[in-house]
Amino acid sequence: MSELTGSRISPEEREYELRAQIGSIWSGGRLFIGIYTFAIASLVFTYFYLRSTNSASLWRTPGETAPVAMGYAIWICTLLVAFLANYGRRRLRAGFAQDFVVAGWTATGVGLLGLFFQIYILTQVPFYPGANGYSSMFIGYSIFNIGTLVVMTYWIETTTVRAMRVRRELGGDKPELSKHEMAQLFRADVASMVYFQGFIAVAATLFLAMFYWM
Amino acid sequence: MTISAERPVDVVAGAPSLPVSKVSWTQRPGWVSQHLGTAVVMGFLGYVFGHWLGNYIASGYTYVQNTGQNNIADTLALAFMVLGWLLGIGALNYPLLKIVGREPAEEEIPIKHWSRFFRFSLDHKVVGLQYVVGVLLFMFTGGLLAMAVRAELLSPTFHLFSADTYIKIVSEHGTVMMMMATSIIVGPLGNYFVPLMIGARRMAFPRIEAFSFWIFTAGYMVIFAALPYGGFPTGWTGYAPLQTQAGPGMIGYLLGFAVIGTGMIASGFNIGVTIINYRAPGLTWNRIPVFVWSILATASLLTLATPVLFVGGFLGLLDKTVQTAFYVNEHGGSAYLWQNLFWFFGHPEVYIMALPGFGIAGELLPVFTRKPLFAYKVSAAGMMGVALLSFFVWQHHLFQSGINPDMRPLFMLTTELISIPTGFIYLVGLGTMYKAKIRFRLPMMFVMALFFNFLIGGVTGVFLSDVPVNVTVHGGFFVLAHFHYTIMGGLLFAFMAGLYYWLPKMTGRMMNEKIGKWHFWTMFIFFNLTFFPMFFIGLLGQPRRVFEYASNLQGLNDFASISAFLLGVSFIIFAFNLAWSMWINPVKAPANPWDSLGLEWQTASPVPHDNFERIPVIMTDPYRYGEPDAPAFADLGVAVGSNSHEA
Ligand code: HEM
Ligand SMILES: [Cu+2]
Repeated sequence: MSELTGSRISPEEREYELRAQIGSIWSGGRLFIGIYTFAIASLVFTYFYLRSTNSASLWRTPGETAPVAMGYAIWICTLLVAFLANYGRRRLRAGFAQDFVVAGWTATGVGLLGLFFQIYILTQVPFYPGANGYSSMFIGYSIFNIGTLVVMTYWIETTTVRAMRVRRELGGDKPELSKHEMAQLFRADVASMVYFQGFIAVAATLFLAMFYWM
Repeated sequence: MTISAERPVDVVAGAPSLPVSKVSWTQRPGWVSQHLGTAVVMGFLGYVFGHWLGNYIASGYTYVQNTGQNNIADTLALAFMVLGWLLGIGALNYPLLKIVGREPAEEEIPIKHWSRFFRFSLDHKVVGLQYVVGVLLFMFTGGLLAMAVRAELLSPTFHLFSADTYIKIVSEHGTVMMMMATSIIVGPLGNYFVPLMIGARRMAFPRIEAFSFWIFTAGYMVIFAALPYGGFPTGWTGYAPLQTQAGPGMIGYLLGFAVIGTGMIASGFNIGVTIINYRAPGLTWNRIPVFVWSILATASLLTLATPVLFVGGFLGLLDKTVQTAFYVNEHGGSAYLWQNLFWFFGHPEVYIMALPGFGIAGELLPVFTRKPLFAYKVSAAGMMGVALLSFFVWQHHLFQSGINPDMRPLFMLTTELISIPTGFIYLVGLGTMYKAKIRFRLPMMFVMALFFNFLIGGVTGVFLSDVPVNVTVHGGFFVLAHFHYTIMGGLLFAFMAGLYYWLPKMTGRMMNEKIGKWHFWTMFIFFNLTFFPMFFIGLLGQPRRVFEYASNLQGLNDFASISAFLLGVSFIIFAFNLAWSMWINPVKAPANPWDSLGLEWQTASPVPHDNFERIPVIMTDPYRYGEPDAPAFADLGVAVGSNSHEA
């Protein structure tokens, strides 16, 4: 884009726009969590609403449970993605960009695995979707969570390839380069990404409790 | 460059146009690129593919074989149509290229070609104009359906439509109009003017903004697909169990709301983040124009309330396709669940349809009264207060649904509470007009009509929140009249005010004042003649959404119907004025036709690609009308446009 870089933009303006951009990634990341919170809260509300209403005494047939091992496997994958993202960010801060890339690719793999389980579990449920409230809820959440896992995996994967690109374009990862615009924007993105993954890990734990412990 | 902050910061005003060979093929002028045509083709292919896939997956299912109706195929067809549409227009290029780390290759280059209006454009001014056309499309098609409704109601006994067709027309009308109302101001005027009013050169997330427009158009196709699918009989509220029993047209409704909802979230997200981060230096929170406040309040509702609608629609689709039982009482679900999810979104939605209108009123009043906005801070606080409170009143739509009667006083109280900040906003307007020498230009006339109409709409709302009154009028024409007074009488009049006021900046052409006056008076008079009798029709007991009524109500109904047709004529006058002033006989607009102090009028016309040559520095508060030596609102750094700062 350098051919478009106008000479007329002053350094102060550039600095101002950079700060606005970083601020947008920061507040956009938080607002995205807000949006997701309301979506997930709707599902949680649905669960408790149907459970407490217990229409036709059909909230849940006694002894009926969704596949346990695979449910835990999905949950562990989700936690791992969040953990790896966070770990990668800490290493990045400490100056080890390579570790971030490795953690990122690992997390991508784990995310894809989780996605596989999440789709596979739908073929293994021992009940008809509309059998009762619990079964509806489990199917509904599972399908919703396919979307969530796609978002998680997409975000960590794209941040990882971006890390590689930024490093290539800046010509390395020497500490001086970390003040470069590209690096600053990248870090803001990483921070938003890590918060989102952590948030999803918490939500996944909540749903695990709802489906298997309660 | 980033997931989000997408256009490079360094494209400056008047950037040299690049040689075509440097422009990505997707953006080049000419057929071999991505534009509306490719979107149509891909949308069609998506539809066919989705249908095939659905049949492949589900044609063996027992319920499909028993009923002969494959909801999975119908749903996937529409879903893939939306996907194909987005792929075809190019909305997904960048997110897909990101996967392989190639996002900078897709930077948008400003092309000046007219075809940019038919493309995925990252220029918020182009998107704003696209939205003008988009919402007018919703409005005129939805309006035709309203004409059909009123035609049927001309007689209590002679029928143009069957009961079944009638309810489907009403439902389609209501849903299309509600979808339009979510975006009618935020889409065209918010996208176009918020950056200009806050001194920004760009939106925070231009791709998300453009995405919001194109998915909005996809939503239009989905909701209209409901008709060839057989329509849906539930009204715009989609209540279960009727929802569960309805035919495949219901899919158009459920998926339509999910699709439109995605667009609402996207547009609120982008515009809210932009307001927070891209305000020009000196534009502190107590200086931002009141229109921007209203859009910020609306954006918070768009982003936080709409996910609930999305999930509600999603669960409904699952009931229809994979046979879950969320809304089916007999299988452990609950029809009330839908009603709660719907209205938890639905009431904030009501303010999504009110706040931008108040924002326009607050913005225009000082210009036409030449007085500072009265109690600026109260109106900003009122808007944020309304936005917050609107999450706590939704059960007032369920007073008669069989909710626990002990809950009713609580929601009656919250609903009456919310009318207090609403009243503040109203009083701010009256305070500004008080003792002013009003200039009766067209935008101002629409604003004053808004105040007249909203008085009736708002006060009847307070009646409705009163449980004993609600018991007698719920589900009837009284409610219908109430919300048409607030939405049409408020929001739509505000939209017209905004169009007459800002189209000169958007297009460089003035709207014809004489035809405009005809438009105004016909719209104002016939709006009131159409809907005012409906309060009485309602009090006399006529239910909504029913094609037959007591014969003693024919007089009032005929009066309303004939007024409605004339109201339809006023929209034709408007369309004519638009065609006349924009294309047939365009008159060049002066740089600042209303002598506004607003920042949007002080940049050059037509607005340069990057809005401002230099980032403006805001010097003072925005409404210093009537002060002869008030300082200029902003320092633009360069002399552009012809500014008449002095009021
Ligand atoms: C002072 C403010 C307002 C109050 C106290 C109020 C109160 C109410 C109440 C209690 C109802 C339920 C009536 C029923 O179904 O029995 C209602 C319905 C409705 N109101 Fe309002 N309202 C107010 C302002 C607005 C505004 C500003 C809008 C839109 C811009 C609006 C749009 C609606 C709609 C769409 C419905 C009907 C929903 C339906 O059943 O289809 N209201 N209002
Ligand atoms: Cu309400």
